[in-house]
Amino acid sequence: MDESFVDMIFGVFFLILAVSIPLIGILGGRVSEYRHLRSLERREEEASDIIVTQLKSFPAATRSDQTPTIVYAETVIASDYLKTFFAKIRGIFGGEVRSFQRMQERSRRETLLRLIKSAREQGFNAICNVRLETADVGGGAMTRGKNAMPMACILGSATAYQASSSE
Amino acid sequence: MIVTNTETIVGHEITEIRGLVQGNTVRAKNIGRDIMAGLKNVVGGELKGYTELLTESRRQAVERMMAQAEELGANAVVNVRFTTSAVTQGAAELYSYGTAVVVEPSRVG
Repeated sequence: MDESFVDMIFGVFFLILAVSIPLIGILGGRVSEYRHLRSLERREEEASDIIVTQLKSFPAATRSDQTPTIVYAETVIASDYLKTFFAKIRGIFGGEVRSFQRMQERSRRETLLRLIKSAREQGFNAICNVRLETADVGGGAMTRGKNAMPMACILGSATAYQASSSE
Repeated sequence: MIVTNTETIVGHEITEIRGLVQGNTVRAKNIGRDIMAGLKNVVGGELKGYTELLTESRRQAVERMMAQAEELGANAVVNVRFTTSAVTQGAAELYSYGTAVVVEPSRVG
């Protein structure tokens, strides 16, 4: 009698656990992605006064005492339960993995904003030669196989300099 | 020391080229960060621990590169590039390389 009661408690406990982890994952993932996208949009608007180019030269550079300098930024964004699940389904049928594509895009946008922020903090108003590349901190599918932790690691660098204002 | 990832530096003239300089580092993240990352992979969001790891690695690689440039008597490093590779499961390599040069402020803008 007692034993079956204990078994039942354990059963219910594990059932709740099994249901709640995906649920927390789905809700948490949605909320964090939504909030991140909103904050990206807001900060991108704020950063629109900085001239961002991918050119190797210095467009519209002006003479100033400030020597151009390199700026760096890096971002690692984790996948969530739902994204990983969608990607696994995609792995069966093939095709574009939208959930991971969005994750990479978020990471790139965040890195670019951090580059801009770093340039602004040092008193520059333009960055050129923006380079964004992917990194692997060991969580990738390549090195871990089945136990992979999908994540978007982006490494960015650019050169900050003084440009004449466009107005 | 002036470090840029462009081939030229505005307001400066490259007078001498001292050659390729490089710096690399292989860093491992500790198990605590791994566990935290595992949890974060359920709910999503930024993996701050791994971002910090990349920042530290990059700083170290650049420092080594700059030390090499200083040894060659350069006062600037231009055209800096980065690459990464995953050496094993828990460790990542960050490699930075550039060209060590001697620059002088140019007389006319």
